[in-house]
Amino acid sequence: MEFEAVIGLEIHVEMKTKSKMFSSGPVSYGEDPNTEVNVVDMGFPGVMPVVNKQAVINAIRVSNALHMSIDDVVMFERKNYFYSDLPKGYQITQQFRPIGSNGYLIITTSQGERKIGIERLHMEEDTCKQLHSWDFSLLDYNRAGIPLIEIVSRPDLRTGEEAAKYVEKIRSIVSFLDVSDGKMEEGSLRCDVNISLREKGTEKFGTKVEIKNLNSIANIQKAIDFEISRQSIILDFGGVIEQETRRFDEGSKETVLMRVKTDAVDYKYFTEPNIAPIKLSKEFIDEAIRTSPELAEVKLERYKSLGLNEYDSNLLLADKDISNYYDEAIISGANPKLLANWIIGDVQSVLNKDGISIKSFKVSPSLLSELVLLIEQGKVSNKQAREFFAKMIENPISPKKLLEESGTSLISDEDTLKAIVKEVVDANEQSVIDYKNGKDRALGFIVGQIMKKTQGKANPGLTSKLVLEEIKRR
Amino acid sequence: MKYMNLSITKIHEAILKGEVTPLELVKEAIEACKKDDNNSFEYICEKEAIERVDKLDESKKDSLLYGIPVVIKDNYSTKDIPTTGSSNMLNGYVPIFSSEVVLRLEKAGAIVVAKATMDELAMGGSGTTGHLGITYNPWDKSKTHLIGGSSCGSASSVAAGIVPFSIGSDTGDSVRKPASYGALVGFKPSWGRISRFGLFPFATSLDHVAYFTRNVEDSAILLNVLAGRDDKDFSSSFKPVEDYTARLNESVKGKKIAVIKEIMDSISNTSIKEAFNKNIAALKNLGAIVEPVSIDHKLLKAIYPTYIIISCAESTSNNANLDGVKFGPRESGESFEEIMTNTRSKGFSRLIKRRFVIGGYSLLKENQDELFVRAQKCRRLIVDAFNKVFEKYDAIYCPASPKVAPLVSSDSDALSDEYLIADNYMAFANMGGFPSITLPLGFEDNLPFGGNLTGKPFDESGVLSIAKVIENCTGLKDLVAKEGK
Repeated sequence: MEFEAVIGLEIHVEMKTKSKMFSSGPVSYGEDPNTEVNVVDMGFPGVMPVVNKQAVINAIRVSNALHMSIDDVVMFERKNYFYSDLPKGYQITQQFRPIGSNGYLIITTSQGERKIGIERLHMEEDTCKQLHSWDFSLLDYNRAGIPLIEIVSRPDLRTGEEAAKYVEKIRSIVSFLDVSDGKMEEGSLRCDVNISLREKGTEKFGTKVEIKNLNSIANIQKAIDFEISRQSIILDFGGVIEQETRRFDEGSKETVLMRVKTDAVDYKYFTEPNIAPIKLSKEFIDEAIRTSPELAEVKLERYKSLGLNEYDSNLLLADKDISNYYDEAIISGANPKLLANWIIGDVQSVLNKDGISIKSFKVSPSLLSELVLLIEQGKVSNKQAREFFAKMIENPISPKKLLEESGTSLISDEDTLKAIVKEVVDANEQSVIDYKNGKDRALGFIVGQIMKKTQGKANPGLTSKLVLEEIKRR
Repeated sequence: MKYMNLSITKIHEAILKGEVTPLELVKEAIEACKKDDNNSFEYICEKEAIERVDKLDESKKDSLLYGIPVVIKDNYSTKDIPTTGSSNMLNGYVPIFSSEVVLRLEKAGAIVVAKATMDELAMGGSGTTGHLGITYNPWDKSKTHLIGGSSCGSASSVAAGIVPFSIGSDTGDSVRKPASYGALVGFKPSWGRISRFGLFPFATSLDHVAYFTRNVEDSAILLNVLAGRDDKDFSSSFKPVEDYTARLNESVKGKKIAVIKEIMDSISNTSIKEAFNKNIAALKNLGAIVEPVSIDHKLLKAIYPTYIIISCAESTSNNANLDGVKFGPRESGESFEEIMTNTRSKGFSRLIKRRFVIGGYSLLKENQDELFVRAQKCRRLIVDAFNKVFEKYDAIYCPASPKVAPLVSSDSDALSDEYLIADNYMAFANMGGFPSITLPLGFEDNLPFGGNLTGKPFDESGVLSIAKVIENCTGLKDLVAKEGK
């Protein structure tokens, strides 16, 4: 029998706001456990939630990027349940009125473009982090209260590849909008998969299986591919799919059973009474969108208009920070294409070699653009520029200063150079004759003599041009 | 010379004149706390209070609360001072932060001398359910009458003259009812007027900071200190604060006061009715327009059940943080579920568990429309009905209770009209967030009873000005339960 997979994704994105969703506690990563916590995050008696405005702005921006309708009334509900990672005994979330609803995303796979519906986007707070040992559990409240947005797709995805492309695109959006680091391996982007199979051509949904514990986009694809084959085999042999939660096991690359779903928990949702509904003005929403950082696809169009080809543009856009570096560098007015070549080539190879990110790269965008400007103006040769660049990596000083220090500023003044050219050509009349007789090498010899005379300071391009002119005159 | 039985303004004058020092005042209050035989206190802050007197900034002497002792209900978080909400669930809990109310009082120079007993987690109206047991009415030395709750210790300590004022909290009538039983002024300003940050939530949408004084002027003085926006409480209002003492001498002439007919009809006690009518006559004499107004009997009867459903539902969620994981006593168990179950089973009393069961039941998916959502709709209808009265009237005035303080042995579960309406109607002011004040009206067999005046949201000044006239008419102010009465 031929089956079709019906896949929906729930993505949790941790926002990198300054403070938490409902408290002034700091949002940070990698700090010592329970050091980035205030009384609100611990759920002490008497604490109250205060809505983080930046989190609302972020949610609006992501909703807009996902083509969703944005609710102009922000309301929160309590989701009530007891769990050791839940400080207050309830989580404040948006159950009844998500800030974003009914959106979509266009993804491009090997099979072409597909439009994936998105049901809802809502804000909520994260729980604390747990570390279970066999006879004790450790709780880290640093994570408790970090703002989350949850993005729930419609069951429109059909393959592991589509799911991977969808997550990749969401990751790019939240990352380019500066909403989140979007790092699956660090848990700042988390994805749960719902998947069921049905006979191709039928409408009715099969039994849904949930897959958790997916820590990379590649694993999402692998887990789905495995799950499709697992369920197909069961169904082919006349078996029944159990409604259950499975996790992806990295070692075996298989999904394994976590728990069989029992009756759904009743979370007793009701409106958070400490937060009266917040009416968002049209101005507020418009402003949030207007001031939103550029998405990758918007940047792509801009880069193309600067004369970059799609391939190079995408190389810059593969990393949001690199594209931001590029954006900062082009402000100087340096040639966009030349700058892009430097970043894609020389800068990237340094990053790769040192295993660092662009954020810890010592040469600032303005220094790099200064160097590129010097090349454009013919003040330094490419060879010199590479030498300067090597120095700048060690010690990020201005290439202009390097130029002054080396005293090797190119002679680009036409009159000065003309005089030297005339002098050298006069002294090498035989070479002029040779050139006119078809010996192209003779030209190189003359240029070489000029370089020798100027200790390599003659602007090479200009020199060649002037020598040719001089020869023609004779 | 005793000072704790005087008004805030009198004590302040005495400090300014150098008749008495803050340290002497605090020592007088602490001694009185120690002698208290009404079970008013969870914790007497002797050491902490004396340390704080040491730290008083003398340049702030002009603040009316400078050096004046205060008692705080035990559901306000107080830094480094045990705070239990009178529940075994929080035995030994010492908060690391103070509630905004306490911070503002301390900033004004007031000295916290004790934490007051209360009904467990503020759920109850009798002052009998806290983990320290029954709190008695200081007006009755035979210890047969209650002061009422849930702010029982706060009420009894002011009624007994231990401190000139105290902080309570009011979710249904938890300050305004005990005020009636204790010959006190009990004031609950509008929802959002005073920050609730640090007040242990019982039912968030109904909870109000409220307090006891022995006269109306002191109430206005306190509001000047406590009112105002607090960024830690998202529900606290941005409305500018006023000088709430400014209109205290305003005439009542031409002001329109509504008396709810159905509430009066449900009261049988003749002394209360007589005293109330006498007071009305006096107000009319001064030019007030006092008129009977009807509100649908069914709506009035619905106030109590509506209150119960909403408050129990919110309380189950509000108290879910008490699980033994982060603070408070922890019972052992094999899993976190067991730890939580064992801790909560042991920590909460039966009455609290009953409320949680009612609240949880009304929030269940299959019941929510029929119970919780319906109660919210009902709340809207009730508030609309009272708002309609406020369209034509400046305030609503009725007896605060159909009876004097109940006996310790009393059982008031009979669902009579008197119980359902006159004994429980004051929660309408919590539902609508209206400013509402109880003040003494008279005595029956040496036990006090009060009247309750409620106004439009954020019209604290208007309510206080009418209350001041009522107080002038009755002449009942600065009352302290005397020895041997």
